[in-house]
Amino acid sequence: MQRSDYLIRKVLFGLVTLAVVVGFNFFLFRILPGDPVKSIARSPRLTQEAREKLRIEFGLDKPVFLDVERLGKGDVIGAFDTQFTAYVSALAHGNLGISFRSRRAVSEVLAERVWRTVVLVAAGEMLALVLGTALGLISAWRRGTRVDMGILLWALFCWGLPTFFLGIILLILAQGLLPVGGMVTPGLKPENGWAYWSDVGKHLILPTLTMAIIYTSAYILIMRSSVMEVLSEDYILTAKAKGMSTFRILGSEALKNAILPMVTMIALNLAYTVGGAIQVETVFSWPGIGRLMYEAVTMRDYPVLQGTFLLLAVAVIAANLAADILYSMLDPRVKAG
Amino acid sequence: MKTIIWKDLIGMIVLPMLAAALAACGAPATPITEAPSATEAPTQAAAPSEAPAATEAPPSAEAEPVTLRVGATTIWDAINPATGWEGYNLRYWFYDGLIEWTELQGFEPGLAESWQVSEDGLVWTFKIREGVTFHDGTPMTADDVAWSMNLLMQGKIGPLELYVQGFKEVVALDPTTVQITLSEPTALMETARLHYAWILPRSVWEGKTDEEILEFEDPAALIGTGPYKLVEYVEDEHMIVEANENYYRGKPVIDRIVIQQYATEDAMVQALLSGEVDLIDEVPLTAVQPLLDAQNVEVVIMDSLSLIDLVINSNVNGTQPESLNDPAVRLALEYAIDKQKIIDVGYAGYGEAASSPLVPAMGDWVNPNIQPIPHDPDEANRILEEAGYLDGNGDGIREDADGNPLEYRLYAEETGTYARILEIISDNLAEIGISAPPTLMDGDSLYDLLEPDWDFDMILWQWGWDPDPDFALYVFTCNAIADYLSDSGYCNEAYDEVYKAQGNALDPEERKQLIWQAQEILFEDRPYINLLYPKTVQAYRSDRFNFTNLSAGDLLKKWTLMKYVLLME
Repeated sequence: MQRSDYLIRKVLFGLVTLAVVVGFNFFLFRILPGDPVKSIARSPRLTQEAREKLRIEFGLDKPVFLDVERLGKGDVIGAFDTQFTAYVSALAHGNLGISFRSRRAVSEVLAERVWRTVVLVAAGEMLALVLGTALGLISAWRRGTRVDMGILLWALFCWGLPTFFLGIILLILAQGLLPVGGMVTPGLKPENGWAYWSDVGKHLILPTLTMAIIYTSAYILIMRSSVMEVLSEDYILTAKAKGMSTFRILGSEALKNAILPMVTMIALNLAYTVGGAIQVETVFSWPGIGRLMYEAVTMRDYPVLQGTFLLLAVAVIAANLAADILYSMLDPRVKAG
Repeated sequence: MKTIIWKDLIGMIVLPMLAAALAACGAPATPITEAPSATEAPTQAAAPSEAPAATEAPPSAEAEPVTLRVGATTIWDAINPATGWEGYNLRYWFYDGLIEWTELQGFEPGLAESWQVSEDGLVWTFKIREGVTFHDGTPMTADDVAWSMNLLMQGKIGPLELYVQGFKEVVALDPTTVQITLSEPTALMETARLHYAWILPRSVWEGKTDEEILEFEDPAALIGTGPYKLVEYVEDEHMIVEANENYYRGKPVIDRIVIQQYATEDAMVQALLSGEVDLIDEVPLTAVQPLLDAQNVEVVIMDSLSLIDLVINSNVNGTQPESLNDPAVRLALEYAIDKQKIIDVGYAGYGEAASSPLVPAMGDWVNPNIQPIPHDPDEANRILEEAGYLDGNGDGIREDADGNPLEYRLYAEETGTYARILEIISDNLAEIGISAPPTLMDGDSLYDLLEPDWDFDMILWQWGWDPDPDFALYVFTCNAIADYLSDSGYCNEAYDEVYKAQGNALDPEERKQLIWQAQEILFEDRPYINLLYPKTVQAYRSDRFNFTNLSAGDLLKKWTLMKYVLLME
């Protein structure tokens, strides 16, 4: 099979997944008990007329999927004038809808929030990757020693730590030294230049550290086991016999071969980090996608929920696709899939 | 090798805990400032209004602008008053009504200097204050008042519609006179209507279509005549406001207020301890003690307009078992529940046992003849025995005459300390042979159990009332069911008549008698078991500010910020 066939197949598969997610997203939130009109206007001072007005404004007066009544009357086209068709057709036009809560365009809210989560996840993942790879490599090389035991124990301990718990502990420890919440001190603007960016940096330290500590452990464990496997191969023995230095063996032989499982892990982790980001963003009041999702769930803000989940689905599918492509480049054997 | 691992473990587990404990413990206890109780409030209220705090405060004109940094878990849902249903207290910084809400039960002339009522109570004539300007500099006139009242009456500003209920016509007679004509006399004009019927600038809102009004999510939507103007609002992050130099009561002491939004209460408490914020609008119960022990932090306990109650399904179409409709069973339930324990466990002791749905802060409107029913399981058992509910099969659960066991569905929202309160109630009921296992769910699912299905037996609930008792009494009327305001489904024509009469009674004494009567009916029929009146607990940095009077019930209320703040530096 040709490599291009393999890629086309993967891309098609990604697109089908996306279509399923689009439909699934719509129904998932509507299956939840609860009524957005009631939870958004939770004020007891809401008259019934006002409530009906909100319902019409949100388009919630229409049937969800199929207007059975109109179908019964033979009005086939009218029967599809539903919330679902409105959602799909708006989506086809690139319109993610208007937030029930703030009445702002969902695409606008997402555009504002997404880079903040990207910054946080990227910083956390990067730190975790560097630390994890290094520690995993050391651990595998010094297998069975105190160093190995120490690293392993640390990794297992952190692996089991709940994200929010670690976050709160760090928050208490850093009290007075670092800001405990938010992304920037209110009032500072990007126009302020250095003052703004250094302030953002200060706010970024604790959430990044929390994320890095949690995710380092996965990389340590994966790296350790795959390097150990590689080290037991005959060609390593050959390399040693040829008098290659430890550093070169680890760097050029072991690391190269251990990279495949790492790629899988990174792609998989992307999905997990988004989940972890919800917790980290909540503990540290970081105004990213995770916070947005959390608020939207409690408010039953369907358009925002659909928008964020769609974005996440696209991110995860894209990450998997990228991993597949990388795979086929790194390992010529991966073609048949 | 073993020792090293243990040292590591100690370092990893014990040290953070130790640090946490150290952070929590601090220096000597700071005294709690107790708010004056509701009965003293009126006398307290009168004195300070004569001497505004601005003169007491050290002159701050040349000094650095004074900033109050507030930590909060929520700000509000939207800037636009037409779509924003939350944060009334904060919105009140930006706008004024004709009448100003002061203490929890107090009112003063606001944008109206004075007013007269016609003999029949239908025509109200207001003299509008002169020389007041909106934040954008345009003068506020009688025309703006009449125009914005009409906007509210047309339902264009949904959240405020209730405050012009029963208004038939509002016209500006001349630049300083406004006349409001009502469709029927109401006792509520001064105490429940005009403080939230805000005056909006005609120049900003005129010419907008319905659609444009709903999409007016713009700082300009907050232009009013109030003491603060909006500088910046970023959703889920922060809000910055600045003092209105031209406020008609004089420039506020605090020049700038920054509200920082925290997603977790713990982070907010840490921010107060480290001085990152000066005030937090809500103290989680777990943090009360550490904050009391902390230096430079003052914890304040204030009266509130909140009620914690146990709703009993009283709807005629409800799915509750027949036995729950029996007044004897309801009375026994109230005897069985240990309200004090709920206060101690669920509210760290900051609350009072309840008797009426009207809260003590409502003062004389509360019927003093209704005393809280004491916790007395023996009496509860006696009542049930007498009413014929016996445990025939010896399984520990009583049955009614038809042999149906007294098993009830007991629900609460999955929030705060509700889980623990529900367990206490469940245990209390088990003591008198009633089975009611506690079930928690999210708020939206709870709402779904009400109108039209009425598919529950008992729900633990919370209300925050208006200062006037009218709204609290309204939720028990038959009309409230159609308005989705009723949570008990209670409907009693005799009660509705009394409710209507109190709303139309212009004589306060007559109105009081009717309100007392309404409370007696509710006490008999018991759609609610009123559990407790919780206190409002807030905290601030006493090294930066001093709040001299707490009778308005909230440190962030306009009245408190305008009158009772002193600077400490």
